[in-house]
Amino acid sequence: MDNLLEIKQINKTFQPNKEVEVVALRDVNLDIERGGFVVLSGPSGSGKTTLLNIIGGLDDATSGEVILDGQLLTGLSEVALSEIRRDHIGFVFQAYNLIPVLTAKENIEYVMKLQGRSQQECDERSLEVTQKLGIDTLLGKLPNQLSGGQQQRVAVARAVAATPKLILADEPTANLDSKTAASLMDMMQRLNEDEGVTIIFSSHDPLVIGKAKHSIVLKDGKVIANERVC
Amino acid sequence: MFRLTSKIAWASLVRRRTRSVLVVMMIAVSLWGLFFMEGIYDGMTEQMINNAIRSDSGHISLFGEGYRLDPDLSRQVVDVAVVDSFLARDNRVLSYVKRLKQDGLVATAHYSRGVAIFGVDLAAEEKHGRLKGYLSQGEFSFGKKGRGTIIGFKLADKLQVRIGRKIVLSAQNSHGEVSAAPLKVMGILKTNNMALDENAVFIGDKKARKLLAIDEGVSQVAVILHDEAQIAGLQEELRHKFPHLEILRWDELYPALMQSRVMMEGFNLVASLLVFCVAALGIFGVMLVSVLERLREFGIMLAIGTRFSQIRNIIFVESFFLGFIGFSFGSLIGGATLYFFKVNGLDLSMFSDAFDEFGMDAVTYAIVRPSYFVTALAAVTLATFLSVLIPLRVLKKSKPIEAINKV
Ligand SMILES: Nc1ncnc2c1ncn2[C@@H]1O[C@H](COP(=O)(O)OP(=O)(O)OP(=O)(O)O)[C@@H](O)[C@H]1O
Ligand SMILES: [Mg+2]
Repeated sequence: MDNLLEIKQINKTFQPNKEVEVVALRDVNLDIERGGFVVLSGPSGSGKTTLLNIIGGLDDATSGEVILDGQLLTGLSEVALSEIRRDHIGFVFQAYNLIPVLTAKENIEYVMKLQGRSQQECDERSLEVTQKLGIDTLLGKLPNQLSGGQQQRVAVARAVAATPKLILADEPTANLDSKTAASLMDMMQRLNEDEGVTIIFSSHDPLVIGKAKHSIVLKDGKVIANERVC
Repeated sequence: MFRLTSKIAWASLVRRRTRSVLVVMMIAVSLWGLFFMEGIYDGMTEQMINNAIRSDSGHISLFGEGYRLDPDLSRQVVDVAVVDSFLARDNRVLSYVKRLKQDGLVATAHYSRGVAIFGVDLAAEEKHGRLKGYLSQGEFSFGKKGRGTIIGFKLADKLQVRIGRKIVLSAQNSHGEVSAAPLKVMGILKTNNMALDENAVFIGDKKARKLLAIDEGVSQVAVILHDEAQIAGLQEELRHKFPHLEILRWDELYPALMQSRVMMEGFNLVASLLVFCVAALGIFGVMLVSVLERLREFGIMLAIGTRFSQIRNIIFVESFFLGFIGFSFGSLIGGATLYFFKVNGLDLSMFSDAFDEFGMDAVTYAIVRPSYFVTALAAVTLATFLSVLIPLRVLKKSKPIEAINKV
């Protein structure tokens, strides 16, 4: 199988102060297939956020390697990681993802602008994505004029608009009611199928977890289940 | 990218508009005060200098050798004709006057005082220093028979004489004898040049020559130039041409006035420093709070691929907007205020009698120099840069990416 992402022997220990050590991840080994729709689940404190942050280059592992599409991310400089995130990774966080002073359209185009794309390209791509996601009526609004669910959709649109290889979504539905959560998941699923973008998301919600094609379960920083459904 | 940076910066300021407006006003008002003080103080200083130049020293004065140490009648500018022809032909010279000076004594029925006698040609003085403009009472004339006098207003106060009263002027003449002349007070001058207001007794040139028994020669030739920049050059040339004369610039004759001009520059520097502090502290406070409030926002921006340098630019641009808008408003109201007082003058006499006392004009006409604005702009620009350095350090240290998960 063609793997987009390889996670090798990742350990992560936090040391909030001299006496305390928190082991957040232990010997995590994972292969994520290209085009996968992957869920990370597990109880609170099991290490989901920590793992997603390490994959996305937002945090360093204490040991181990992350290889994205053949490129070793471990040990890269701040600037190099920043460029990899800009060009290849989309992020959706739990809530308040958007830059508050920019409209939905400007938020969606933001990463594309960072990539140096022309306004015309940005216009075309944002229209394409928002039509696909059914949020093209929200484009002119500011984040504080949008509901939580609408904000999350715009955040997903922003992540996918920049055509990344991988989208990381840390509990994207945690702040949403179950109906809105389900429709956001449908949207992500559609993007995964239409655009072929690999998506890894974390969740506590069984209904959301059930949508994934590949399920990974963490407990106390260890992978306790890793199965592909299909 | 620059447009996006400016847009985010601008929108962030508008979002926190109360704070932004407050800082802008702080900067604008402090600049307003700075410009006002600079313009008025500058105006006062220049008026004092101008008074001294017009009423006495000119830009350059020529004296006989040794006259300044010992102002004796024997130390005169004797070759008047040569000096005359040189000055009359030099196109840098706007005008010049010749004066005869001697110390003397004025007496009334009740009082007597030591004075400085000036033998002058009123018409020439008027053309030269617009002396008539200083007349506060009476008329600008020595009377038909030349038996009148014009005296300083403080002297008039001390002698308690009014227009039309008689005084007796006595002085030692060139033969060493004391001679005296009765004079009628025709006019009273208020030049705000203290030396003149307290001591000067102006009489006609002819009258003075008779009183002092002097045929030729003058004590002082005062020269006014078209262009202040040429003063030093002309002085040099005159010194070459007339090595036996003492040739001094106004600032050598009135060093205190030059000092207040130099002090003015120091004062501007201090005032600009104050404006710098106000702007820097104001922007610093607002930007620090703003950065701390936006940790999560910046964290998300960094996470999705914004470089730290791009966020730094946003913060710099915000600071620049605050500083520059503050500067623009401050310059606008400051410039307008100064222009108003440049045209209409500012009457400070209502606040204090001291203005009369210390030889200052009651009404000050403000000066507006581009340098005020340039210096202030430099101070504000420096403030906009320096004030965000600490907020930027704080931002870097607080690891905004970690703030993302702390909802
Ligand atoms: N910055 C940190 N400093 C110290 N300990 C941390 C830090 N971040 C996470 N941890 C610890 O690491 C462990 C894993 O945390 P993590 O946030 O990855 O769990 P999670 O699975 O995302 O939990 P949740 O479902 O509550 O979001 C926890 O024990 C947590 O306390
Ligand atoms: Mg988490």
